[in-house]
Amino acid sequence: MTSHTKAKILKQHQANARLKTPLLPQVMQNSQDLSADEMPSPLDEQIIAGAWEALASGQTHYVDVPGIAPLREAVAEHLNSLTDAQYQPTNILVTAGVQEARFLTIQKISELYDSIAVPEVVHPGVCKALGLRYRNVMPLAVDLARGCLPSVDCIAQAVRAGSRLFYLESPSRLSGAMYSADEAGAIHKLAVEYDVAVIWDQGLAVWADSGSNVSLAAFDSSIAQTAIIGEAWPGMGLAGWFIGYIAAPAAWIAPMQSQKQIMAICTSTAAQYAALEASKLYAEAHPQQRRQLGGFRSALLELANEVQLDVVAGDAVNILALRLPGQNAAAAIAQMRRVGFEAADGGLFGAPDVIRLNVGSSTAQAIHKLVDVVRG
Amino acid sequence: MSNRKKQGTSLLYQLIGEARTYDDVIIMGRGDPDFDTPEHIVAAAKEAMIYHHADYAPPPGLLALRQAIAERVKRVNGIDADPQTEVVVTNGGQEALFLMVLAVIAPGDEMIVPEPNYNTYADSLAFAGGVKVDVPTYPDTDFRADPQAVRQAVTDKTRALLLVSPNNPAANVIAPDDMQAMLNIAQEHDLMILADDIYDLFVYDDFQHASPASLPGGKERTLTLNALSKAYSMTGWRLGWIVGPADLMARVTELKAAVSGGTSIISQYAGIAALTGPQEPVAMMAAAYRRRRRMVLDALDAMGMKYGLPQGGQFVFADIGFTGMDSAEVAQRMLTDQHVLAYPGSAFSKDRKNYLRMTFLQPEDKLKEGLERMKTAMQNMMAEKQ
Repeated sequence: MTSHTKAKILKQHQANARLKTPLLPQVMQNSQDLSADEMPSPLDEQIIAGAWEALASGQTHYVDVPGIAPLREAVAEHLNSLTDAQYQPTNILVTAGVQEARFLTIQKISELYDSIAVPEVVHPGVCKALGLRYRNVMPLAVDLARGCLPSVDCIAQAVRAGSRLFYLESPSRLSGAMYSADEAGAIHKLAVEYDVAVIWDQGLAVWADSGSNVSLAAFDSSIAQTAIIGEAWPGMGLAGWFIGYIAAPAAWIAPMQSQKQIMAICTSTAAQYAALEASKLYAEAHPQQRRQLGGFRSALLELANEVQLDVVAGDAVNILALRLPGQNAAAAIAQMRRVGFEAADGGLFGAPDVIRLNVGSSTAQAIHKLVDVVRG
Repeated sequence: MSNRKKQGTSLLYQLIGEARTYDDVIIMGRGDPDFDTPEHIVAAAKEAMIYHHADYAPPPGLLALRQAIAERVKRVNGIDADPQTEVVVTNGGQEALFLMVLAVIAPGDEMIVPEPNYNTYADSLAFAGGVKVDVPTYPDTDFRADPQAVRQAVTDKTRALLLVSPNNPAANVIAPDDMQAMLNIAQEHDLMILADDIYDLFVYDDFQHASPASLPGGKERTLTLNALSKAYSMTGWRLGWIVGPADLMARVTELKAAVSGGTSIISQYAGIAALTGPQEPVAMMAAAYRRRRRMVLDALDAMGMKYGLPQGGQFVFADIGFTGMDSAEVAQRMLTDQHVLAYPGSAFSKDRKNYLRMTFLQPEDKLKEGLERMKTAMQNMMAEKQ
């Protein structure tokens, strides 16, 4: 028997373009898959031991909704060391990955505002998170020369036009471009002057080439008006464990924590204890990894220059965005797939002539294939 | 803020917070089994950390886990589910519930739920903009969900029935005939069914569990949730699932991707071990719950307390009306004076201020001690009243 109710549900679903935005893979599926949000990294034995010991000792039960206390403390300390902010564990909500962090911040903080301003080029997970419950989205034009970030002028215009809640990525999840200290300072000044709130995705900031991490949270008074989100200790082999964080004023944490309880009760204990161990190793392991990727990326920039590919400006060493002017990246990606390579389609981010590649040992080979593809 | 003002989930979390401050507290509130996760499952998790930590976890879950789930729902529930298109893995039963509600409820839609019911149903519905329509059940029928009452609650705004069997907190199991009647109502009024089967392995005496999706014509309009939390003592792993018809599950998959992107790869491998490995630990735990249930019922009988017979689940919903006090107050007094945590009925429904939900998820010696303390608390409260 045909169900009209079901047909109605499915029709509503078909009409929801935001919700239907495809997501990128969380982790690369093989060495030639350069499309994922994170590359696979080795998992240190200490992380395995820490997570397993916790499980074997009975940490297999529900834990606190916002996360286990030592992990919240470790996240707060980590963010404070990166940004000179003053986060306390009570400002931290551990999430089941960065997508849950996007969802909680976008859905709950936007309840307090009439609209949310979102860059026209942004991670597809943002569109998906906006696909539930209607939200008035104000698009922010992006500056290609600035690596697809909205310029400070553009943000200022939106503020003057009445926008009071912004979702910003720094670095951009597509290009790796990051706001400078001056730009972040200017955004902070606007935020203070106009009582603006910002959801600031800085998940890729730890991959900034210079190692300097410019966060809105670096400005003391921003903590009261900013929610910072990201992955917990990227590059430590935890991508598939889905562990992320939100750092925000306690007044914002409370409703997001309630929502987290409704959605999932808590985050996987195994992932939390693994992240706790990763926090102890990060200071030593990460700079080495960043340097290695930085070396790869420098060589790739030279290669791109040699083969005359247009690199989108970016600061993160783990990704490389290439622009194919006048071409559809999706078509090029489809052709690359035939020869075994995967790349992320900029169209999913809102930039249909851009492809994003993970930086790694097979990226140079992928660039050669791309040249073959786009030049026949 | 006093407990009189706090309601639902926030009231429960306040009590949990206070309970943690007592070293000798006996928890008879939260639905978290006292057993640790069976060793072979923890061992499988360790192996996954070594060999599979970098595996890709797509939003609907690992195919191997979805296959194990499909086999499980066929074997236990009689539901046919294609692992490729009709199973989605979730962060526990809680996320499964949230996604199911989002999948079918639009703002203004009504969802009929036998009352009393688990507080998160209202929270998820509120997020979706839906309206919960409670259909009361009564202790004299052991909180039976009456299909006739459900039928009378249907309006032109009704979009779905939420059927929880065994029910939480009242522990009623919807009998197969009643489940068929519920499906008939859904078919007659073209409603969707959301089925919460999370306690399906815990059914006592001669009561019988039936999944609506297993009945002829049921699958097309039913989303069924379950999780490993209760049966395998895996609450901290956050692993559950939804099964349903492929067209609706495509929507569930999109929602899963929007809400959390995927589910922890380590938990998924642990889940495969749970579902495909030895099932003796589940049988052992179920046997323990049967014994403990009897122990709790005997103690309540000795105290002269009334309750609906728990036909399934891991708890008893007992009438404390004789105290003349609100259940939030009684729960607070039990916790503060005797360090025993039970959940007040008012957290589940504004109309259940005369009830307490007591879980039997403690070792038998602790449970016995908890019941003694509860008796003392009740006696003290009654003495003060006189």
